[in-house]
Amino acid sequence: MPASQLIDLLWEGMLETLYMTLWSAALAYLIGLPMGVLMVVTDREGLRPMKRLNAALGAFVNLARSIPFLILLIAVIPLTRAIVGRIVGSTATIVPLTLSAAPFIARLVESSLKEVDAGMVLAARAMGATPAQIIRKVLLTEARPSLLLGAAIAVTTILGYSAMAGFVGGGGLGDIAIRYGFYRYQRDTMLWTVALLVIVVQLFQEAGARAARRIDKRI
Amino acid sequence: MGVILELRGLSKRFGQGESVLEDVSLKIGEGEIFGLIGKSGAGKSTLARCVSYLEEPTAGGVVFAGREMGALSRGELYEARRSMGMVFQQFNLLMQRSVIGNVCFPMEISGWKRRAARERALKLLETVGLSDKADAYPSTLSGGQRQRVAIARAIALSPRILLCDEATSALDPETTRGILALLRELNQNMGITILVITHEMLVVESICHRVAILDRSRVVEVGDVREVFDHPKTEAAKALVAGDGQPDRARKLLRAVEAYRDKAGLAGISAEEVLRRAGIPID
Ligand SMILES: Nc1ncnc2c1ncn2[C@@H]1O[C@H](COP(=O)(O)OP(=O)(O)O)[C@@H](O)[C@H]1O
Ligand SMILES: [Mg+2]
Repeated sequence: MPASQLIDLLWEGMLETLYMTLWSAALAYLIGLPMGVLMVVTDREGLRPMKRLNAALGAFVNLARSIPFLILLIAVIPLTRAIVGRIVGSTATIVPLTLSAAPFIARLVESSLKEVDAGMVLAARAMGATPAQIIRKVLLTEARPSLLLGAAIAVTTILGYSAMAGFVGGGGLGDIAIRYGFYRYQRDTMLWTVALLVIVVQLFQEAGARAARRIDKRI
Repeated sequence: MGVILELRGLSKRFGQGESVLEDVSLKIGEGEIFGLIGKSGAGKSTLARCVSYLEEPTAGGVVFAGREMGALSRGELYEARRSMGMVFQQFNLLMQRSVIGNVCFPMEISGWKRRAARERALKLLETVGLSDKADAYPSTLSGGQRQRVAIARAIALSPRILLCDEATSALDPETTRGILALLRELNQNMGITILVITHEMLVVESICHRVAILDRSRVVEVGDVREVFDHPKTEAAKALVAGDGQPDRARKLLRAVEAYRDKAGLAGISAEEVLRRAGIPID
């Protein structure tokens, strides 16, 4: 394949991959962030301990996280068809990606928020802060650097899964790798694709770590 | 003297464990500096938390400013807590907020306008001697400076009482003296009632008017500081006075040096420095 054509192909694949990954990440945070907060709040040591709800959430998250991604992808095909109208291509892939990332993100958020020093929460309670104020102004704010690091992990994980989805017609770089590299024996196209995936993952991870360090006021 | 805070037969146990507080009754008068002293594990921090119902007492109750805390609705409880300031051993500042952001926090959560809150915060920082640190972050401050920020934050809403739980226990002696002087100043200038919780006798001796001794979940002695420390009645009180690590004579000497220092217009200079200047070797 001529170089210019390869570059166009890879460029398009990368845009598709980013499109899937970032939309899935955003939607998964819409579900996973409140879930993570709820898990922390209803914890035995939380602001509003609720044993049953907390146990149910934990069990649900574990269950959802133990389903292999490719099985989830196939299992949600009816849902994907209902929402997107089709089951192949990058937009369709957003549905299973979001569903598989949300519980993972809930756990990431939970662990970030649990790192916040209990003394700060106690001080805020002593000042008459309501639970909602504590969530917004203490937990989420104090955990910001850790949440950002978690987001970098979430995005790179979703990116990896999106490549997997590519193998079954999900679009993006993974799709290109399988179509050209595997079915058409264009070994170098596949290698370039994989190299590009590696670079994008590195970039996201590094950018997340840098941003986390920059906003962290604990030095 | 009106009573601002009263504990009535307060008891607390966690789950099925042993009682951490057992039938504690105390009256704290408006405008006084009241000490609560006891060994580690005696239940002091638990008592501090029960006062503002951060922990729910198992039995008995708390009357604050004439109102039964246990009878308050959630909203009223948040309101009541806003008129109690609290200061902790570990400062518990918000590390991602600047100094002024920390001082503004209580005003922010009780609906103050941003401008008004910042103005008041700047005045408070002046009061605690940290005007130049408004935009610094807590991680760049020393322990003593952090505690000053925490105190500014605790008095931001002009509380009726300030609860200090081991406020100086993480600080060196020199810094401790500074913080204690600040507390005394707040008490004298603003008339704010202070409950000083500590395991250190020196803290109680230097600023408290009255003291209660908490020993294994119970208050065993209450009275004027001099009376309790000079004529301890219970075993617990005697042990505290004897085992303070500062033998009586040394403590008297230190007090004498400090009195001399203040009279000689050397306030702000450490006792060690006074002795050094007088040519008296210490080791
Ligand atoms: N949340 C809790 N759950 C169980 N036990 C507790 C809890 N908080 C304190 N305790 C116990 O209560 C006792 C008194 O603790 P504390 O009030 O912190 O004492 P102090 O402040 O005087 O050192 C200790 O034995 C401690 O283990
Ligand atoms: Mg304690």
